[in-house]
Amino acid sequence: MSILLVGGLAIIVPFTASNYLLRVFNMTMITYICVVSLFVIFGMAGQISFAQAGFWGVGAYISAILTVDLHVSPLLALFASAFGTALLPAILGLALFRLHGHYFGFSTIGVVMILNGLFQNWKPVTGGADGIANIPPFGIASMTFTTEMSLFYLILFMVVAISVATYLIHHSSLGRAFMAIRENEIAAKCMGVNSYLTKIIAFTISGLYCGIAGSLYAFMSSYVSASSFTFPQSALYLVMLMLGGYHSLPGPIIGTALLMLLPEWFRFLQEYILLIYGLGVMVLMVVMPDGLIGGGKKAYEFIRDKRGWISANKKRPSNDLG
Amino acid sequence: MILDNVCKRFGGVVAADEVSFTIASGQVRGLIGPNGSGKTTVLNIISGLCEADPGSIIFEGDNITKQPSHVRARLGIARTFQHPRLLKRCDIKANLFLGIDLANMKEKSSLFSKTDDHSLEGLLETAGLKISMDDSISSLSYGQQKLFEIVRAILTKPKVVLLDEPAAGLNTKEMERVRALIDIAVRNNAAVLLVEHSMDLVMNLCNSITVLNFGRIIAEGIPAEIQSNEAVIEAYLGKGRHA
Repeated sequence: MSILLVGGLAIIVPFTASNYLLRVFNMTMITYICVVSLFVIFGMAGQISFAQAGFWGVGAYISAILTVDLHVSPLLALFASAFGTALLPAILGLALFRLHGHYFGFSTIGVVMILNGLFQNWKPVTGGADGIANIPPFGIASMTFTTEMSLFYLILFMVVAISVATYLIHHSSLGRAFMAIRENEIAAKCMGVNSYLTKIIAFTISGLYCGIAGSLYAFMSSYVSASSFTFPQSALYLVMLMLGGYHSLPGPIIGTALLMLLPEWFRFLQEYILLIYGLGVMVLMVVMPDGLIGGGKKAYEFIRDKRGWISANKKRPSNDLG
Repeated sequence: MILDNVCKRFGGVVAADEVSFTIASGQVRGLIGPNGSGKTTVLNIISGLCEADPGSIIFEGDNITKQPSHVRARLGIARTFQHPRLLKRCDIKANLFLGIDLANMKEKSSLFSKTDDHSLEGLLETAGLKISMDDSISSLSYGQQKLFEIVRAILTKPKVVLLDEPAAGLNTKEMERVRALIDIAVRNNAAVLLVEHSMDLVMNLCNSITVLNFGRIIAEGIPAEIQSNEAVIEAYLGKGRHA
């Protein structure tokens, strides 16, 4: 179903949407990649990370610096962003995964703060508060991606590739190792999972995704500055993931789409949108703690069984037996 | 597998004090003792969740005392927990495959030959689990979860199976199934260490029994000897108060 949806979107959207709307879609897809990166490290491996916006920034700055200052080809810069950014969580993970649970989460707040500080103040490299402007458009050989429509297809291609890769990981032994750590680290260890190494792998994959998203963002907007890559942005990714549901891939799709596109349609609400949005998130978390996908599933089971919410909830043991 | 003078202290409490015994393949050793006597601690030391200090664990001639749990699991030491530790928010399939992943990881192990009752369907049938692969773990009852965990442990093709109170909280029928599953493990030449309070199960299944009290071994022998051992009766029932 999701394949049809994406396929349909790919055909219809670019021809019907205005350039402005296309830009919104492009930004939504880039954000989606970041939310999927959070799905890998948090949704699958259960390690909450607020560093994703920071990694996204690292990816953007690598591409910007390479193409503007060093005149590297954009394709090479994209690869450099992906793998360069992945290297960062791989190294950070060695130290940070000595911490467990919430302590790891808190340490990642430090990571995004430090990265943002670097973007803001390391003037010779990042341009400081001015950022880096005049980033050339993305191109492969003689093909350049300058129009919003060509960018749409480029980003869509990346979105599909990353979604497929993530789906395959989710259903592989690596994905099971991630989930084993999320559910019960001690049991995971006793099932032969090297939890320390596996968490670093998850963190690295999430960094890789953010690097790609950052590079795409740099080429799309042709300008990067520190103000985009902040802690609140990371928190927003988390809200999107929680809203959509963090147990399967459709969650990030729905969460990102809702939070990126709805504000466009409810522009007439002006600043009140934040109020409604905040309230909405709170209500959703109370009513559907597993996000819209989880809530939808529950509703489906409710209709199917006609036994009511209470018995549907009773099925799962309420106390933690672990 | 040999445990040699294994000790463990938690602060001032001695949880395991010079515990030594061996578990041989194809045999079941019972590890019993009153509550808080250090049985689970011994299991945790064997599976690597806590470290022996001092003492050493020899597995197939190698000293594995310093190895982390996941390495031990890959060597073939499988365990279950007193309270089942399954992937609660995943389906049955992911949980089972976690065990099969581990079995694949150590392909070289030739101890387990592919017998009929070792196959997945056979194991599930022995466990009395009529489940679909897409069901979630939370749809299983507590007893089913415990049986399921044993199935998963056997699926990893282990050389040593550590069972922490597999029958606690189960009904008679489910207890029979635990026994059948242990039989399968034994027939496949695994060494089983059974921590259990149900004397019925222990006395019937075990080739030998080790009794712990306050972290110390107070008796060791075949079931008949243990049943008449005065130190054991004293530990369980107290001194001078014969029922």
